[in-house]
Amino acid sequence: MADVAAERTRPIERVRGAGLEKVLPYLFLAPALLLVLAVIAYPMIRGFQISTQFYRFGRPLRSVGLDNYREALDDKVFRAAVWTTIRYVFFAVLFETLLGLVLAMLCVRELPFIRAVRLVLIIPMIVTPVIVGLVFRLLYASDVGLLTIISHNLGGGDVGLLSKEGSAFWAIVLLDVWEWTPLMFLILLAGLQSMPQEPFEAAKVDGASGWRTFLDHTLPLLKPVLAVAIVLRTLDAFTTFDQIYVLTQGGPGTSTQLVAYYGYDSFFRFQRYGFAAAMLIMCALVLLAFSAMAVRMLRRMDR
Amino acid sequence: MKRFLHIFALVMACLFALVPIFWMISTSFKTNREATQDGTILPSSPTFASYTSLFTRREFGHYFANALIVTTGAVAIALVIGSLSAYALARFRLKFGLQRHLAFVLLIARMLPTVILIVPVYVLAQKLGVLDTRLVLIVIYAAFDVSLVVWMMDSFFAEIPVDLEEAAMVDGDSRLTAFRRIVLPLAAPGLVATAIFAVIVTYNEFLFALLLTSTPDAQTMPVGVATLMGRINIDWGAMAAAGVLGALPIIIFAMLVQRHLVRGLTLGAVK
Repeated sequence: MADVAAERTRPIERVRGAGLEKVLPYLFLAPALLLVLAVIAYPMIRGFQISTQFYRFGRPLRSVGLDNYREALDDKVFRAAVWTTIRYVFFAVLFETLLGLVLAMLCVRELPFIRAVRLVLIIPMIVTPVIVGLVFRLLYASDVGLLTIISHNLGGGDVGLLSKEGSAFWAIVLLDVWEWTPLMFLILLAGLQSMPQEPFEAAKVDGASGWRTFLDHTLPLLKPVLAVAIVLRTLDAFTTFDQIYVLTQGGPGTSTQLVAYYGYDSFFRFQRYGFAAAMLIMCALVLLAFSAMAVRMLRRMDR
Repeated sequence: MKRFLHIFALVMACLFALVPIFWMISTSFKTNREATQDGTILPSSPTFASYTSLFTRREFGHYFANALIVTTGAVAIALVIGSLSAYALARFRLKFGLQRHLAFVLLIARMLPTVILIVPVYVLAQKLGVLDTRLVLIVIYAAFDVSLVVWMMDSFFAEIPVDLEEAAMVDGDSRLTAFRRIVLPLAAPGLVATAIFAVIVTYNEFLFALLLTSTPDAQTMPVGVATLMGRINIDWGAMAAAGVLGALPIIIFAMLVQRHLVRGLTLGAVK
């Protein structure tokens, strides 16, 4: 013991290469920092600049101040996209949380094959999002779709979820639920597995019902993990793009047009550089504010 | 009875996860006639025609090679420079409160919705003349992955007792040798978890690949599949086959690392 203590108090300068020791941390940090500055920070600044300019044919013509922001706020399609996105995120995250919680509760106990079950349940979140879009196109298609075929076998007609505005919205929500419930499930499962055992043993001794134990012990203990999972999913779902691109392209009408897709379309198809930049920056600022709030809330919960 | 319900619920959940994928696989082995008209669940006479048509007529090999090169390159760069940074943040006290500032910059980089970067990144890539190259994708993905690596590795390094390296350094190792000989092996489980998460996220990335590439010279698998979907709108068998082939690399990867998969995905998400 004494030896270890002596080693520890030995001044670090005695170690070989002590001069290098002073600059080493900066050398270690430099490459990552440079990369992040060049690829994320600098483009972000350029993005602000672009958002204050009027572009035509891919070239900045003149400075327009905050006109692009004003235009975006007045734009009916943008407002509709924001509203659709909010509803989409709300329902998707709601269902994912409920289903993920149920699945985590079912999988936390040891059963035969439970490891295999856990692996199967997370497959959807590993599959490339573009291909998830393709998978659902094959399910929803009104001629070859599995839903249509099942409906025919039950004596019904064609099912074309993507051809009507109302059902198309729920079709993309269902896709999100299929793809991302596994993430909720994983995070909540980890939360359940790391819980202290004592309260549950005590509850058992007291003869509390399963439901009571869940409300009195599981849920309160799980609250911080639940909050993290919901925040993460909300942030991610807000910028959903890939699946929309291959499945609906925002249609029919604008019923499945989410903000990320509208931003991309305004920029790439309609070449409205400044307008798209302004729109996306506004969304990002709102999301960052939301994350900051969430981080603060989580810190308070930890205490 | 309760146990029966429990197992029944789990079986239903697994079916819910698998049926959509099963349907894609089943459709990929049908002729287009069967897919559109017969309404069968399983292919009545399975055919590889859709797959062979993909390989003979289209650029699937390119998409696959590009995805492999881009993913490996970006993840390797991010792992190396990210772990170095994480080590520096976990072990050294920096001047001017740099530690906190850097942690903040990286946190912002991690939370920032990348979609806001599409306009400036495209404009800059065009100016630099690197549109439609694998290089631009490697650099951008490496930057996206690096903040993730730092976040995940920071906590792994912090868990390794400092005494071990100091002992090694007292015995004559330089800091770098101690890092390589003592710290890295101890952090290996963390590196594996981080690498798994980074590979899956990077292989699956679509938005920037779509934005920055336009030919099979640089297009990755997700973009390739999306392009094919646009072109072969009604050839359902070929579309399904493209989906199966596109998903296969990442599914195989997941199976290879399945022992560490759950941990990697959980840590990657929460960190």
